[in-house]
Amino acid sequence: MSYVFFPGCSLDGTAKDFHRSTLAVASRLGLELPELKDWICCGSTAAHSTDPLLADALPAHNLFAVGGQTVAVACAACYSRLKMANHHIAGDAAVRAKVARVVGGDYDGLTPVRHLLEILCQDIGRARIAKAVSRPLKGLKVACYYGCLLSRPPEVTNFDDAENPTLMDQLMATAGATPVDWPHKTECCGASFSITDASIVLKLSDQILGMAQAAGVDCIATACPLCQLNLDMRQKDIEKRYERKYNLPVFYFTQLLGLALGCTPQEVSLESLVVEPYDLLESKGICGAEARR
Amino acid sequence: MTAAIVELEEVGGRLALEVKERSGAAPMSCYQCAKCSSGCPVAGRADLKPHELVRLVQMNQRKAALRSRFIWECTSCQTCVTRCPQKVDIPAMNDALRAMSASEGVAASGTAVPVFNDIFLKSVRKRGRVYEMGLMAAFKLRTLRLFEDATKAPMMLAKGKLPLSGPQVAGRSERERMFREAAEGGGE
Repeated sequence: MSYVFFPGCSLDGTAKDFHRSTLAVASRLGLELPELKDWICCGSTAAHSTDPLLADALPAHNLFAVGGQTVAVACAACYSRLKMANHHIAGDAAVRAKVARVVGGDYDGLTPVRHLLEILCQDIGRARIAKAVSRPLKGLKVACYYGCLLSRPPEVTNFDDAENPTLMDQLMATAGATPVDWPHKTECCGASFSITDASIVLKLSDQILGMAQAAGVDCIATACPLCQLNLDMRQKDIEKRYERKYNLPVFYFTQLLGLALGCTPQEVSLESLVVEPYDLLESKGICGAEARR
Repeated sequence: MTAAIVELEEVGGRLALEVKERSGAAPMSCYQCAKCSSGCPVAGRADLKPHELVRLVQMNQRKAALRSRFIWECTSCQTCVTRCPQKVDIPAMNDALRAMSASEGVAASGTAVPVFNDIFLKSVRKRGRVYEMGLMAAFKLRTLRLFEDATKAPMMLAKGKLPLSGPQVAGRSERERMFREAAEGGGE
């Protein structure tokens, strides 16, 4: 299967470590991810809260430009918006006609959209990934955190199980880590309220960090730029506000998988993490002191 | 003779019908089981719980619904609609209510979400993508929250998470046309 990569705005900014580690993992696995030329923003929450037609047209502009290929997405929010647009356009002829006038071409809503977790687990397969693992993440207990938008609503995303997804858990197990069973896999972190009302994010993210800690993990793995940013960059604020001590590194799952596939800490941008992971990775024998720059 | 099918929204009030026309959500199907509110991440802090907002829409309480803080505190996490036995699409309903609330200028005081959305979409219209640093700076200026999170930007710069120059995707005039066309509703 051939893919066209839709990075999304965050992957060129606050989630550039997600971008870099995604491409590093892809390169180790021989997965080609050429970037969609001149892609534009999916519109995110700002568009769907403002104008439903614009919210379908922005993703459609990109999906129409792809032609017959499969779109690969890393950002959970972009994934959700692209799939939502497909759902609306393919399911409603009136929406399709309106979107066609805005986009300037008749898009049928049928361009396949796959998240990186689906591509890795289902298209490439765990057997092939297991063969490429050269540095198993032995003894590393991970809480796999999927957030809201990969698995909900299931009629739209059709991603794994809506309440208890396991694709990331499977991938982390393949990488040699120990994914734990915990109940907050798909709870909401507060997302873009990070900018408009941080008190929402502090409360919700505290609940997620607290549950991960109670599950006895060493770290959290994420698949969404907003989830990662809220749990990592705001972790100190949360500790202060609620008088807690977490010190839980929050990785993108691609960073952990990349390390397992033999990438250097720099290739997966560990230096971008706010809660430093080096003590943890050294204690597990995954990275040496050279990881710190 | 065929039996007439009566849409529930037609026997409800004007607000339920308008919500359905704008978003496809069917609030009249709700029978108030409150499963949505059990799983809602902001139900504990907002002025309304999701099932209460749906009830207001059913009862045509336009003013209370459009002025509620809840519609601006909903995180669009999709938990409610995923679990709803009647598949009432509350996130889509909230999108419609937000658009109506903002265009009628009755958004709850204290919410900064409409300003954020406006700046966000202007960036997409102009640049094709969102420039996070520009977005945050513009948001701070317009809401005068100059010192909130003042330590975050230097931290993110140091971590290489904020590029100093913004993106610029080709096709600006085509984007202008798209935005204008969308605002006109995609009509002929």
